[in-house]
Amino acid sequence: MWFTIDFSSHVPVYRQIAEKIKMEIIQGNIKKGEFLPSIRKLANTLGVNLNTVSRAYRELANEGIIESVRGEGYIVKKEKMKKFNQALLNQLEEVVEKCIKAGISHEKICKIIEEKTRGENV
Amino acid sequence: MILKIENLKKYYGENKAVDDISFEVQSGEIFALLGPNGAGKTTTLKCILELRKPDFGNIILNGTYSYLPEKKELYHYLTVSKMLDVTEELSKKFSKENAIKLLKDFKIPLNEKIANLSHGMLTQVYVSIVFSEDVDIYFLDEPTWGLDPLIRNQVLELIRKMSNNGKTIVYTSHILSEVEKIAEKVAIMANGKILENDFLDSIKEKYVACITNKDEEIEGYLYKTTDAEKVFITTKDKAKGKIEPATFDMIFEAIVKGVKK
Repeated sequence: MWFTIDFSSHVPVYRQIAEKIKMEIIQGNIKKGEFLPSIRKLANTLGVNLNTVSRAYRELANEGIIESVRGEGYIVKKEKMKKFNQALLNQLEEVVEKCIKAGISHEKICKIIEEKTRGENV
Repeated sequence: MILKIENLKKYYGENKAVDDISFEVQSGEIFALLGPNGAGKTTTLKCILELRKPDFGNIILNGTYSYLPEKKELYHYLTVSKMLDVTEELSKKFSKENAIKLLKDFKIPLNEKIANLSHGMLTQVYVSIVFSEDVDIYFLDEPTWGLDPLIRNQVLELIRKMSNNGKTIVYTSHILSEVEKIAEKVAIMANGKILENDFLDSIKEKYVACITNKDEEIEGYLYKTTDAEKVFITTKDKAKGKIEPATFDMIFEAIVKGVKK
């Protein structure tokens, strides 16, 4: 598992890691019941400190998305995340609002959403 | 806790180089002392290492240590390889084998004379020697000063690896971007004082930028003044007006500027 981290972002690094892992899970790259990489391994691949990854994992565990298995690591517990999905929808709403403010037409906005969601089970 | 500093003071005449600072470092941490030039970072390290006598305060250091000084100077007339031999004679904790391995990773020729090395290569040699000492805590004074981005990343990667293997790192820097990349805990220092000391991620979470009209005052650090408004960096609970996220860059600048007034 590898993804980019924006070290100069105002978003704390551990939160970026937690968010990206959620995306990995939602996209099905890691499935329910599967193990996440060990803290050490992920820290080395991402080039961050052990504590940063461990903080991200703890956060995910607090949200009930992953679960610690004593002495073995963390497994994925939940594939669907209502809260996370809601946050994404809120973001979408914000972007749509910006588009409307910028004067982009109803048709154009709908066309994009229509195209992107076509064929998906939404 | 591997290192604890309590109320450390070091004055050079009128100049309060280190002015009553306290902090703790836990085992396995990467702790960065961050601040502009002349903030007192090097003096702090020197007091810890007993290279300067503190005027006041307590220093508890629980472990063996190795030190990379600010001025990276080694014996000019020796070759890299001979330098390793000399170090081996001087230090019982030094592993020559380990140093050779690190130098190979850095692609430094062992038979080259120290005098012929570029600044970057000299730093790499020095870092390799320091990290080949098997100690608990490494004090690094500006370990990446003057390095190009590629070499800097190699050195940072090595620092992180040491920490992930349980070693403690205390280092000074004035370069924000690299501190953001590897430090876990940061103490922001200016004019001899520590103004903020926390996990880097927690500092990012703690502060926001707020934009107010010009005559409003907010408890925090003034970051910027425009024609009609002021921008403050402040903790979330004290924020007023229009609130925007603050990057570590902004937080650092505001805090350091705040003390210079």
